[in-house]
Parts: sequence; structure tokens; C-alpha cells
Amino acid sequence: MAKQLAFHFNSSLCNGCKACVIACKSKNALPVDVNYRRVYEYGGGGWVADPMAPAFLTPNNIFVYSLSVACMHCENPACVDVCPAKAIEKRDDGIVVVDSDKCIGCHYCSWACPYGAPQFDPEEGTMRKCDMCADVVDEGGTPYCVSACPMRALDFGELEELRAKYGTVAEVAPLPPADITNPAFVLTPHRHSQPVGSKVGRVYDDEV
Amino acid sequence: MMETREWALVTYTILSQMAVGSFLVLGAVHFLAQRKAGEAEADRLSDRALLAIGPVLVLGVLASLLHLGNPANAYRAIANIGSSWLSREIFFTMAFTGVGFVFAIMQWRKLATPAIRNAVAVLAALIGVVAVYSMSHIYMLANQPTWNSAATPLSFFCTTLLLGSLAIGVALSANYTYLKSRKSAALDVQANLLRDALRWIAVAAIVVLGFELVVISASLIDFGSGDAAASLVNIAEDYNTLFILRISLVFLGAGVFAFFLYRTASVLGQERVLFALVYGAFALVLIAEVMGRYLFYASHIKIGF
Repeated sequence: MAKQLAFHFNSSLCNGCKACVIACKSKNALPVDVNYRRVYEYGGGGWVADPMAPAFLTPNNIFVYSLSVACMHCENPACVDVCPAKAIEKRDDGIVVVDSDKCIGCHYCSWACPYGAPQFDPEEGTMRKCDMCADVVDEGGTPYCVSACPMRALDFGELEELRAKYGTVAEVAPLPPADITNPAFVLTPHRHSQPVGSKVGRVYDDEV
Repeated sequence: MMETREWALVTYTILSQMAVGSFLVLGAVHFLAQRKAGEAEADRLSDRALLAIGPVLVLGVLASLLHLGNPANAYRAIANIGSSWLSREIFFTMAFTGVGFVFAIMQWRKLATPAIRNAVAVLAALIGVVAVYSMSHIYMLANQPTWNSAATPLSFFCTTLLLGSLAIGVALSANYTYLKSRKSAALDVQANLLRDALRWIAVAAIVVLGFELVVISASLIDFGSGDAAASLVNIAEDYNTLFILRISLVFLGAGVFAFFLYRTASVLGQERVLFALVYGAFALVLIAEVMGRYLFYASHIKIGF
């Protein structure tokens, strides 16, 4: 039995194709506007005037990288703490699941989660979120997003093993600081990664 | 523009805070009237106002249900008192409603002794304060920098006391009008009690207004730090008109109107002007506080996604 299952994401491999988003969406039959996994393209940069000919502008410090974000199955999940109905629980293997039979649809978990994981399903009237494909994982399988990635940028497994393999980074801009909820997440950063809290860039594709 | 869901929360928080504040202010009014004119006259002044608080609270609770995606499960909302401020808020709001209802029945039917009734009223008032405190803590989340400050509970209590005092001013005035229409026993004592109560209510409104303006200013300066600065930008860019209106209306109602209310209540026989000022002040402050609460929900900034 795993102690804490976790995702690994390699930002330097991801090309922002959103195959993970679509695999997740079809596996969980999610309605429009509900996406357990989302890919955010974060970028920025500016222009500098050529000192010899000020009319000529040269691109300066241009960067862009993608982050694939789903539920982080946190060590201290804010959603579990704040849910008034005790509808969200952390399993023995660390996966955080919503029991939709208990959910009252108050949205409070979505206010408290810094990763945008719990989302309201207007068809069900309840909050839904990534459960790491628990049904598949329980059978010894792999979460659909991990299988779907053509760049092999996603991985999953025991948190300590992932950390031994990939390091302990869990935050870059525009992710929240990791100390809010201690996410079960290992990130291989892109070489242009901006530090967490940086305002240099912005998210370019807010839709998904 | 916000959805129905957020309007449900604006309605619920404003109405429940108004109910708690009304209960507190009415308690103070009744206590002072009792010492001045005795139990019977004090009851005549405040009993009908007490009964008006119930419907306001019930309306607020009904509005809160509109905020739920799955109201059929609403009964589960107090399952997590151990760690969820939302569960605590619901629990204490229900307790306030229950104990307040028991007190209202006792007071209306004159059950038990005045001392016991007062003890029940004090208990209900304390529970009400804890309910508003819990309500403010719902928003104090680590990833919500604009909500996660002392400004949240302080502004909630400003709303509670401002709306509570002016709503009781309205209720007492309406009660006096009713007594007058009934051509019941001599109203001299009632008229004096009412004028005293309105003067104190005017003073309370002006004091709380000053405090609220300080809290708003302090919270805006606080927004200047880190992530919360974006919220200030939101207000400046998208809601500047609403923000200026909100400040102006609360100043007009709880400042200007309250000042003239105090002046008018000090002289005899100015009833028409007096009541116009009470109703006007309440209406202006209610609109201002609804705007303020709307801004509270509309301009907040979240860390992360």
C-alpha cells in the first residue's frame, strides 16, 4: 500500500498540447467548463531599444513555459479542512476524493484550494475534482493523463520515490507557494521558470 | 457581474448581520428604557420590534440556501464543526435563531421572570456575536490575501452594528406610529423614550461610521502589499464608481442624516421630520452596505488558480 501517491510534471518537456486535459475530460465525462486537469501557458518578455538606432526594438527576456495542473492531493488539503459536510476525505494512499453523495455544493472548497482543483458541476449540483483515476490506480493501472502525454512529461507514483528520482521542487510562478497546503507534487522546472510569486509574466490561456 | 449564487451570499450575510445587530441594539434600548420608565413601558416600546427580527433572519437563511448547488444535502452542513468555520457559522446562526425565538416567545407571553428573560436574551446576544465572528472567519483563508486580514471581522461587525442600530430606529418609529394610530393610552412616556432611543442610535451610527471608514482605509492600504495589490487595481479599474458611491452613501446615511436625527430628536414635536430622517438613514446605509459586501466578493484576489 502506497503512503502518498503523487504526480510528477516535467515543465521542460511539456509543449502545451493539452492531451492530458482531453484524456481526463473523456475518462471522467466532464461537462464544458469543468476540467480536473488544466494546462496553463505562462510567459512574458519585453523590448529594448537598440542603443545605436533607438527606432529599432529588439525582443528582450522572452520566455514561455507550460504547467499541467490538477489536484495535488496535498499533505494538508485545505479542501478537507473547510468542507462543512465532511464530503472530502484523504484516503490511506494519500488520494483526496470528494463523496458527491455528501457534498452540498457550497463551493467553499474551491475558495480554499490554491490549485483550482475542486470545481462545480452544474449538472450534478456538486463539486468534483481529480481523484488520480482512483478506480484505475486501485487495479494497478496509471492515471489517464499520465498515459496520454505524448511528451512523457507526466509521471505518477509514491511521493518519496518521485522526489528521489526528480528532486523536491513543487513551486514556480504562477503556482501558489507550496507551504500553503504541502502538495504531493514534484516539478521538473523549465529553464525559464520564474520564481513563485513573480509578476514578470502572465497566464496566456485562461480557458483551459 | 456576479451570479445568483454570490447575490445569495450578499443577501444572507447582510440580513443575518442586521438581525444580530438589531437584537444587540434592542437589548440595550430595552435595558435603558426599563431603568427610565419601568418594565411595562419598556416592553411597550420594544416588543413589536423584537418580533420583526425573526422574519429578517428567516429571509436571510432562505437566501443562503440559494447558494447551495445541492440543497437536499443542506442538513449535512454542520458535520465539520471540528475544523470548518462554515459549519461553525451555520451552527451558531441556528443556535442564535433558536435561543432568540425562545426569548421572543417568553417576552411576548411574559413567561418566567424579567430576570430570567434577560438572561436568555444575553445568551442569545452572545451566540449572535459568535455567529458573526464565525462568519468572518470563513473568509480568512491562507490563499485569499484580500480576505485574510482583521479587516474582515471588523467590517462585518461594523455592518452588524450600523444596520442593527438604524433598523431598530426604524422599528421603534414604526411602532410609535402604530401606537398613535390605535389612540391607546397616553403616549408622552413612549414619545420621550423614543426620542432618547433615537438620539443614542444616532450617536452609535456616527461612532461606528467613523470606525468603518478607518477599517476601509486600513484595508485598502493593506491591499498595497504583495498579491492583494491586484484587488486594489480591480476596485480602481472596474468598481471605482461603485466604491465611491458606497462611501458617499454610508457617510450620508450614518453621518449627515444621523447628525440631523440627533438634532431633531432633541426637540419636541418634529415627528414627521424625525421619521423621514430615520427611514432615510436606514435606506441609505442598507444600500451602502450591500454595495460594500458586493465589492467584498467581487474584488477579492486568490493566490494560485
